[in-house]
Amino acid sequence: MFEAQEINAEHKDLIHDVAYDYYGERMATCSSDQYVKVWDQNSEGKWILTSSWKAHSGSVWKVTWAHPEFGQVLATCSFDRTAAVWEELVGETPCPAERGNRHWVRRTNLVDSRTSVTDVKFGPKTQGLQLATCSADGVIRIYEAPDVMNLSQWTLQHEVQCKLSCSCLSWNPSLSKNHPLMLAVGSDDTNPANGGKVFIYEYSDNIRRWMKTETINSITDPVHDISFSPNLGRSFHLLAVATKDVRIISLTPIPDNASLQSGLSKLEIQTSAQFDDHGCTVWRVCWNITGTILASSGDDGCVRMFKMNYINSWKPVAVLKGDGSHISSETQRSSISSAAGLPTPPVSQTARYIKLGTIAQSREVPWH
Amino acid sequence: MEPSLKTFTIPDELCRRAGIAATWLPINELGVFAYQHVKAHSPDQPSAYGPADASVFKVRQQVILFEPILRKLVNEANGTFLSVQELMSTNSPEFKTELLKLSRQYRSIIRACLENLQDEVMRERGERKEELQNYITIFYSVECVWHLCEILFVDNIPGNVVLPHLLEWVRFHFPKYERKAAKLLAGDLVGLESQPDYWETVIGLLMQGRIEVVRALLRLHSAADSKPFKLVDQTLKAMPIYSIYSGISATEFNLKWKHWLVDTQSKIDAKLFISERHLHLMMRLSVGEETAWNEVQNHCEAWYELLAAWLFYTEPTIKSFELGQYARRCISRMGIALHMRHLDQVLLAAMESDIIQVIKEIQHMSENGWFASHLTDLLYHSGRLDFLDTSEADDLVASRLRECFLLDYGTLLMGHNSLWQVGLSYLDHCPTDGINTIELLITRLPLGSEARAQKIIREAQKRDLPHIVQSICKILGMNSLKRGRIGNALTWALKSRDSGFASVLADKFLREYSTNGKLQCTDLLDNLGSSMLVSDRLVFLGKYFELHKVYQGKNYKEAANLIVSLLASKLTPKYFWSTLLSDALPLLECNELVMSSNDTFTLLHCLEEKCNLPEIQDKIELIRLAAARNLARALTHEAQLN
Repeated sequence: MFEAQEINAEHKDLIHDVAYDYYGERMATCSSDQYVKVWDQNSEGKWILTSSWKAHSGSVWKVTWAHPEFGQVLATCSFDRTAAVWEELVGETPCPAERGNRHWVRRTNLVDSRTSVTDVKFGPKTQGLQLATCSADGVIRIYEAPDVMNLSQWTLQHEVQCKLSCSCLSWNPSLSKNHPLMLAVGSDDTNPANGGKVFIYEYSDNIRRWMKTETINSITDPVHDISFSPNLGRSFHLLAVATKDVRIISLTPIPDNASLQSGLSKLEIQTSAQFDDHGCTVWRVCWNITGTILASSGDDGCVRMFKMNYINSWKPVAVLKGDGSHISSETQRSSISSAAGLPTPPVSQTARYIKLGTIAQSREVPWH
Repeated sequence: MEPSLKTFTIPDELCRRAGIAATWLPINELGVFAYQHVKAHSPDQPSAYGPADASVFKVRQQVILFEPILRKLVNEANGTFLSVQELMSTNSPEFKTELLKLSRQYRSIIRACLENLQDEVMRERGERKEELQNYITIFYSVECVWHLCEILFVDNIPGNVVLPHLLEWVRFHFPKYERKAAKLLAGDLVGLESQPDYWETVIGLLMQGRIEVVRALLRLHSAADSKPFKLVDQTLKAMPIYSIYSGISATEFNLKWKHWLVDTQSKIDAKLFISERHLHLMMRLSVGEETAWNEVQNHCEAWYELLAAWLFYTEPTIKSFELGQYARRCISRMGIALHMRHLDQVLLAAMESDIIQVIKEIQHMSENGWFASHLTDLLYHSGRLDFLDTSEADDLVASRLRECFLLDYGTLLMGHNSLWQVGLSYLDHCPTDGINTIELLITRLPLGSEARAQKIIREAQKRDLPHIVQSICKILGMNSLKRGRIGNALTWALKSRDSGFASVLADKFLREYSTNGKLQCTDLLDNLGSSMLVSDRLVFLGKYFELHKVYQGKNYKEAANLIVSLLASKLTPKYFWSTLLSDALPLLECNELVMSSNDTFTLLHCLEEKCNLPEIQDKIELIRLAAARNLARALTHEAQLN
């Protein structure tokens, strides 16, 4: 059973991305209306809009939070060919809970791309403050803030050509020191003849360059989203891919002498799971914190959740779907009460949750 | 059997028209929003839906365990869970008996919880009442299944004589007859049979095997002295009841029992009870006459109520492994095979000793995994899941099964503001993925107040996760810094042993001092001790503060030594030279000679090296002069000494 709290995002058009901070207490949204908004949860659980600013001069595709060790930092990327880094400044308020005196300033504008910047992600925190972007013309860029206390200085460290138009990227969050930094990039190039659409890049400490180490040739359809799973101390990495279906790819490092020399790992690539439950194109994939549940969004208008069970196989566990037909009764009720001249209750500061209705009255599936 | 998926609806028209996407937020909640994918190469234009009222829906699982009224259940069960783990770590040879005790403890926790709910339900009305009633149904079923599992899988019943336990179980869950009997016996004893439910109670008790109570009630019938009543009393008294402690073997018992059956049957055949309809029925029931049982079975609320009664009179020596077939027979007898409730299915699976099926089914009980995790853990420790490890059929491993439930349950509790420590204790007992899960989750706990942050840090320290502690301290330091509380920030920086961060903060102190001449947080600086070694800049700050202290204490000689060592240390930040050199002035001009010629040379050397810094230009002449005068004094003094 699920319940939901509705937060009116106050954007003037569809939201392209929603990102939560490390603790899930802050929410950033971005939209075609070129605005970025930041929401904070108050002590009663209600979400309050605390900042809203025009961040770009085109649709804002993605928004992402840096690790809180670096402060309150956001990165955005846009159709306007730029990516930007934002930092929140807190005014000198005696009470830390007061939200009024905060605002976000643009620390840098990364203007190296000549086409739409399609994705932006901060690297693992052990690497300091690194930022990867990818763009529609197939260039991956790695930026770095050499002084994490000064976010207005960013240097373009690496520029990697990826032949095909890039749509999404993901850092491997794995905490292990035994393998090099790893990035996966997906392409939404539509021509199957161009081969695999997911590329794995690794950073070689020896030659100080990012090298393409693998192409996942089993995926030749356009890829729209890609996400490494949080690693629970596994010896292999898991990568979720949104393409014509949902794929979960495992990447297992194979130790050999060549990899020891180059500092790059050789990977054995296998498809762990493949779901065509959406029955159509899959747009987004997202892992929960522990990497035990994958949520995917597809062109069927559904969010589907897949969970790993005790025999280590993935099973669909629940589906969410938009349905406006049930809200009419709610609005009706309120209109009746106002017609009767009853005073409307004051806007509550506490979060109101509504129970979600179900479509299929079949058996409940264990969520946990 | 693959259960079909449930689809939950997001009540939003835009979400229906455009489709939706979702982002996870810690821990296991989803942000769902109307979403339409736009390809990077398509032109940037307003969507077909704009201007739109775009909403984000924060979707979470409904967790009844977070209800305040169920909090006690969560906490107390945690205590019992930890006792189970401790028991298993001591390798006690008596662990089976102890496990049974702990199983009963779990059940008494559920019963206490049910009592609470029942009290509460009286006080409430409307929707809330319904909700509470729903919880009562859930935990009633939980207790019912647990009790049966305890009898069948945890208790080591001597000789596997399971029936007395089953009867006890049925009596507990269908207590109405005993309650009525108590009421009857407590009331007016004259003409008890005139009470409307007298016979129903008597027969109900008979079916529950409460022979003594049945006899007591019959004796209070106004016709108790009549012949049929006396005969029934005698017959019931003579009825052999099987017990492992009676000292007779099953064969011996069966002989006695068969004899009693023949005897009683002959009495029935002789129509000795026919004058009393109810007594006649009772006797026919007691010999297991099918038609008699057909008459009463409709009074049974559940098939397992009938099962226990039926077995008592037809198969008193039944072993637990034979239960399944009789259960199925009972179910078909009552004609309910097609409308089995969920609880019925779980109980049937238990009677068929299909533990895996039981575990699968109890996940559907809507108590958020409380039951499945605790029961599976108990069954695992009772050795009841060992068979999984030896069967080659699938990849299911007992320890993995147990761990999966504990991981899920622990993670669920970690998502609660005040139950996270309880959650940790479950993750602690997951040997494979526990610590990794803790690592991922503990850093996601909102730090909130200082006291809460300290608590989280302590839990991380307990589990030997120094990098987590460092990271949390760093975040707290950063938060303090952003709020302009640099003293606080420095405290956290020291705890996180982050040298870069400490340097940045030390810089802030020094810059602040060089602009306005004030040193903040003197208490903290006074107590830096060896922790200052984390960064050179901090060492400089610490030493510089010491200089201030000794100078204020008018210990000029010591101050001179300190300033010279600072000058020579190469730790001085560029922006601070002006301040430091100016600080030397009063020492050079001191009445008493405190700087030797060597000291002065060191100072002059630094001065020459830094003479290009713009901010010392206006002081340079002054310092040179003071240095020259001090040098003269010092050389004269030193010459005299030699």
